[in-house]
Amino acid sequence: MMSTRALHSLGSPMRKTLYSPSLARNQSLIRIRTTLAKRTVQTESLPASASVDILNKQRLLRPSSPHFTIYQPQLTWLASIANRATGGALSALLYGFSLAYLVAPGTFDSVHVVEFVAGLPDAAKYAGKALLAAPFAFHGLNGIRHLSWDMGKFMSLKGVYQTGYAVLAGTAVSTAVLVFL
Amino acid sequence: MASSLLASSSKRALARRGPAFAKTLLVSRPATTQSDALYVPGGPVYKGTVNDPTTFPTPSRAHTHHWSFERLLSASLIPLTGAAFATSPSVHPVLDGILGVSLVVHSHIGFDSMVVDYLHPRKFPVLGRVATWTLRTATVGVLLGVYQFNTNDIGLTELIGKVWAA
Repeated sequence: MMSTRALHSLGSPMRKTLYSPSLARNQSLIRIRTTLAKRTVQTESLPASASVDILNKQRLLRPSSPHFTIYQPQLTWLASIANRATGGALSALLYGFSLAYLVAPGTFDSVHVVEFVAGLPDAAKYAGKALLAAPFAFHGLNGIRHLSWDMGKFMSLKGVYQTGYAVLAGTAVSTAVLVFL
Repeated sequence: MASSLLASSSKRALARRGPAFAKTLLVSRPATTQSDALYVPGGPVYKGTVNDPTTFPTPSRAHTHHWSFERLLSASLIPLTGAAFATSPSVHPVLDGILGVSLVVHSHIGFDSMVVDYLHPRKFPVLGRVATWTLRTATVGVLLGVYQFNTNDIGLTELIGKVWAA
C-alpha cells in the first residue's frame, strides 16, 4: 500500500511534465508553429491606399469586352453605319476633287476630266456610275429616313424596318435609273 | 442624433486603443487615391472609383441651334440638288454656288462628327487635335477650290452632268 503510494507520488512530477499541459511547454509549441508558419506564408504589410494599385494591375490583365462583332448583323445598325460610310465616301470625292483643282487647275479642269472619262471602256463607265449612284441614292434616301426620325416619325421597330426596306428598294431602283440615264 | 452619439462613442473607444490606430481609421481618405499615369479613357482603369458620379459637359443653348442647323441643311440639300440638276447651271450660277457651299458644309459636319466619335481628344490628345485642324484646313481649301471651279470653270453641277454623259 505504502509502496504504491510512494510510487505515485514519485511518478506524478514526471507525468506532469509528460502529459499535463504546462504553460511553458505550450508557449514553446506556439513559438515553433509561428516560426514555421512565417517561413511558408509570406505576408506583407501595405497601406490601405495600395489596394487601388493592386486593383488597377488586375484590371489591366482583364480581357477586353467583345465589340460590335458579337452582334447579329441587322438592318437597324447596318443601315446606320452605311449612311456614314456612303456619305463619307462621297464627301471624300468632293474634297479630293476640289483640293486637286485648287492645287492643279490645269490638270483637273472639266475638259480634262470629261476627256478622261470619255476614254474609259463602257464597262468601266457603268461600274463607275454604279459606284457613284448607289451611295448617292442610299445616302439621300436614308437621310430622309433619318430626318423623319428627328421629327419623331417611324420610331417603332416596325417603322424602322419598313422604312429600312423601303430605302433599300428605293436605292436599287434609283441606282438602276441613274446608271442607265 | 443617434448616429452622432454612436460616432462619438466609437471615436472614444478607438482613442482608447491608441492614438495611431484611431488616426488611421478616422482620417477620411479621399475617393480618388490612385496613380493617374495608368488612366486611359475607355480603358479598364478608372479615374477615381466606380462609385463616383459621371461628369457632364456644361449645357449650352448654342448646341440646340447647332443641331437644328444641321437638320435644316440636310433637308434643304434634297430640293437644292434636284433644282440644280433640273435647271441649267449656266443660267443659275448662284444656285450651283449655294449647292457647292452647302455640300461642303454638310461634308465638314459629317467628317467632324467622325473625328469626334473615333478620334476624340479625350482619348487621342495629339492625333485628335491634329485631325480636327487638318479637317478645318482641308475644308477651307475645298471651299476655295469649289469657288475657283464654279467661277473659272463650268461648275460642279455641269461637271457631273457632262461626266455622266461622257
